[in-house]
Amino acid sequence: MKKLFYSQKIAPYVFVLPFVLTVVFFWLFPIGNGVLLSFQDVLKDEWVGLDNYKRLLSDKIFLKAVYNSARYMIGTLILLIPLPMLFATLLNSKLMKKPGLFKSIYFIPALTSVVVAGTIFRLMFGEMDTSLANQVIGAFGLSPIKWLKNEWASYGVLLLLACWRWMGVNILYFLAGIQSISADLYEAASIDGANKWQQFTKITFPLVKPTTVYVLTISIYAGLSMFNESYMLWKGNNSPQNMGLTIVGYLYRQGIEKRAMGYACAVGLVLLIIVMIVNLIQLKATGTFDKEER
Amino acid sequence: MKKRVLAMLLCVAMTASMLLGCSAGSEGGDSDEESGSGSAGGTKEMEVEGDYTELEVWTFIELHQEFYTDMAEKWNEEHPDKQVKLVLSNMQYDDMHNKLSLALESGEGAPDVVDIELGKFPAFTNGKIGLMDLTDAIEPYKDNIIESRLSIYGKDGAYYGFPTHVGATVAFYNTEELEAAGVDYTTITTWDDFKEAGVKYHEATGKYFACVETTAQWMLNLMLTQKGGDYLDADGNIDITNDTMVEVLEYIKGMQETGAFETVPGGQPDNEEAYPSYNSGDYAVQIMPFWQTSRFTSYMTDLSGKIAIAPTPVWNEGDPIKSIGGGGTGTAVVADSENADLAAEVFAYIKLSEEANEEVWNVLGFDPVNTEVWTDTELTQNPDNKFVQFFNTYPFDTLLEIQDGIYALESLTSEKFPSINNEFCNVTLNNIFEEGMDVKEALEQSQETLKNEFGE
Amino acid sequence: MKSQKNKNRLATVMLIVLFAILAILTIIPIYTIFLASFKPGGDLLQYGLNLGIDWSRMSLDNYVLLFTGQHDYWRWFANSIVLTVVTVVATLLVSAFVGYGFSAYEFKGKNALFLIVLIILSIPLEVVMLPLYKQMTTWGLMDSYIAIVLPFVAHASTIFFFRQYLQGLPKSLLEAGRIDGATEYGIFFRLIMPIMKPAFAAMAILNGMNAWNNYLWPLLVIRSSSKYTLTLGLNTLINPYGDNYSLLVVGAFFSIIPIFILFICFQQYFIEGMTAGAVKE
Repeated sequence: MKKLFYSQKIAPYVFVLPFVLTVVFFWLFPIGNGVLLSFQDVLKDEWVGLDNYKRLLSDKIFLKAVYNSARYMIGTLILLIPLPMLFATLLNSKLMKKPGLFKSIYFIPALTSVVVAGTIFRLMFGEMDTSLANQVIGAFGLSPIKWLKNEWASYGVLLLLACWRWMGVNILYFLAGIQSISADLYEAASIDGANKWQQFTKITFPLVKPTTVYVLTISIYAGLSMFNESYMLWKGNNSPQNMGLTIVGYLYRQGIEKRAMGYACAVGLVLLIIVMIVNLIQLKATGTFDKEER
Repeated sequence: MKKRVLAMLLCVAMTASMLLGCSAGSEGGDSDEESGSGSAGGTKEMEVEGDYTELEVWTFIELHQEFYTDMAEKWNEEHPDKQVKLVLSNMQYDDMHNKLSLALESGEGAPDVVDIELGKFPAFTNGKIGLMDLTDAIEPYKDNIIESRLSIYGKDGAYYGFPTHVGATVAFYNTEELEAAGVDYTTITTWDDFKEAGVKYHEATGKYFACVETTAQWMLNLMLTQKGGDYLDADGNIDITNDTMVEVLEYIKGMQETGAFETVPGGQPDNEEAYPSYNSGDYAVQIMPFWQTSRFTSYMTDLSGKIAIAPTPVWNEGDPIKSIGGGGTGTAVVADSENADLAAEVFAYIKLSEEANEEVWNVLGFDPVNTEVWTDTELTQNPDNKFVQFFNTYPFDTLLEIQDGIYALESLTSEKFPSINNEFCNVTLNNIFEEGMDVKEALEQSQETLKNEFGE
Repeated sequence: MKSQKNKNRLATVMLIVLFAILAILTIIPIYTIFLASFKPGGDLLQYGLNLGIDWSRMSLDNYVLLFTGQHDYWRWFANSIVLTVVTVVATLLVSAFVGYGFSAYEFKGKNALFLIVLIILSIPLEVVMLPLYKQMTTWGLMDSYIAIVLPFVAHASTIFFFRQYLQGLPKSLLEAGRIDGATEYGIFFRLIMPIMKPAFAAMAILNGMNAWNNYLWPLLVIRSSSKYTLTLGLNTLINPYGDNYSLLVVGAFFSIIPIFILFICFQQYFIEGMTAGAVKE
């Protein structure tokens, strides 16, 4: 028995055993359980078939939450991929002095917890005319805005918070990607007379694609499952007109606040399906599959 | 370099264990002084000598911790054979209620005693009830207590919560600001008077008279109840598009349109972001339940000596409904608790005894549920009392004046109320008063949302 | 030639200006909370955060409160440190163990299993949060740090990183170990772990940051306030009673400091840890 444990045949399975156990107990089990629960009314302790899912489709608040999450994800994709890519290229330029210092500075926000970052932003974007945001727009002669009570202003604040926290990290991702491109390529290109812009579009952009795909994947993941930022910004899960409510927020509201565990599990599974579909589309569109199958 | 990482981790671990050691060592001794300023957040423990039973108590208002420990000490003095030691945790409002519901559901991790806010109460008296029936514990005190305050924490004839106060809605007028603008609050009897006074005040000062609420319904519920309206129809179905509701909201909207009434930061007068606006005199009047007194003395200290308490306006002179009970906290005992019977007995004493009701006024500044206390002028006009000192009218004069006209909103105890409340405070009122949406349209939209939720 | 040089210089200046502006924008939020840590907590409610400096209102009172006042801040702080250290050590050990298994061996089902690693990488925890929570309850793990740490010790992205890191490992090393008489596990613990130190450092920092800042899952799992972590504790201070806001503002600022110091000392590892997945894919 002992010999078997130490044999080369069994050892690999011992090595991956912790992961297998994790998958079984902390992923498969809960997902299976979630599926079962999603067909129940847990409070009344009865099976309700597809009722939870039917209700989801006509639940305007849920649809609003999906819309909010999707809108947030798209906003972060638009801002947090091209800009960091551009900034990383510029930072990497020979003309730039002391890129290391700037790199470090941009990284600092990622060190703060959501609780701290969210609280800072909530108070910077307070509705009183002495809050920083209102002072800034006041300097341009605009009157104070109730940032967190206005649909689009609050969307802006959420995106700004995301940019603040993740811009530096994404710049680092792209810097790492760009630095792994051989310098010879750029030299050859500039001998051929390509200008900087052409070098960017013809060399940098296609060659950092693995990085782009990675950033895209984690951004989709983070965007669709956003909750903490909104929870901190509105000091709880409630916001005017549910403008800050996300899919996970709705899951939390139904499952924890209203104890409708079955309905909440249906929300969770819909989130799972949405994430899977978006990721599949993304991987297909970026051609990542073809590479894997090579 | 790599070694340094490990060394660092070790250092961190050591520091951690040291810190832990420290905090564990000091745990016992820091309970008494906690009540003064300089305390913030977290857990508090009583110090008790001799034999005692430990009771874990959850609150979401830190003021209550002080009150409970004071009263528990009195209990221990009177009952040396049944001493208790309270271990109190204060948590954020939402978190506490969520944790409680999760704990009750799982049958694990619940405290012995817990403060549950009125608006959340129906959620705990539905389905499988995890709270103890307190009817027997209440019995010895029952005669002196306003029945309506017991029944709001009840279901099917059983009581599940010890009330803290009546929460009669009254008006708080900033007399300094009003006098400067030539407005005399004592002449205000009807809502029309109120609105007119507001316009006059606004014209004179450019400042706001009172707020229109977007995240609470203190004023709305009062006006609605006074007009005989409600959120549910006679069969208990959701009906927020009824004529009375529309009429009241249109009226409040009319107030806002005069420019004298506006939304306030934080959305309601009892909000941390709103206190500064009142404290600095930006808004002159609050229509709030009586317990707002304690918020004045804690958070709006600049207003000391400038606030008069008066009955709220009514629709027509002589209307019977002069006030409604607003808000409140029911202290409940968890049924599965090992010490449930003792906890019920102790907390009945802590919250309902005559001493307790005196302390409810002395310490918390609330209107006690035991109305016997209301006429004890030695207590209610005690010149050393910080609330008597703060306000420039005797608070209980107003209470006695409206005593027979304190009603309650019917749907408050409905299991549907938490959801209605949620919808109004997040969506409906915001739509009307921040977004300028038509009252009827906003109500119809919310009606549909709620119908979907209740499956009606 | 000269004009080219001038042009380059101009470009450099423009770049520095651009990045300096960006740096200032990055710092402002931290700077506002730094300033606020010297102002009375009540000001936060009345005025919000801004760049105003009014010397007459500024004092070290909040710091005095932080270091000498009566509150649970340091208990939360200690809890967070313990939880972070435990999480990092456990996650690193277990994930490295698994990651090594994936890279060093060929075995039946390996590809399928690795595909599961990749799939889990892209599933938000929130999807399973509620059922997992229910399970923890039935297993009696509520209100314990075990429930926070255990489900994530075999951490998909950490496993992935270690596997990639070990992918380039020469197989001859393993053979040499076997010839020397080491067991399969001995090889991992004695030969492989020592050479993984840089990878450990990077992952320690990444996992440490996540653990230090973790919020939602501990919020669900932890009940007793004596077990609160810093993020949970700070959140309870969002309540105007007593000196809560004073403690909140100074405590929030102070909570950034330890991790900031670590960042200054071990910058390279932070950056490696964060960018690990992006390049090696």
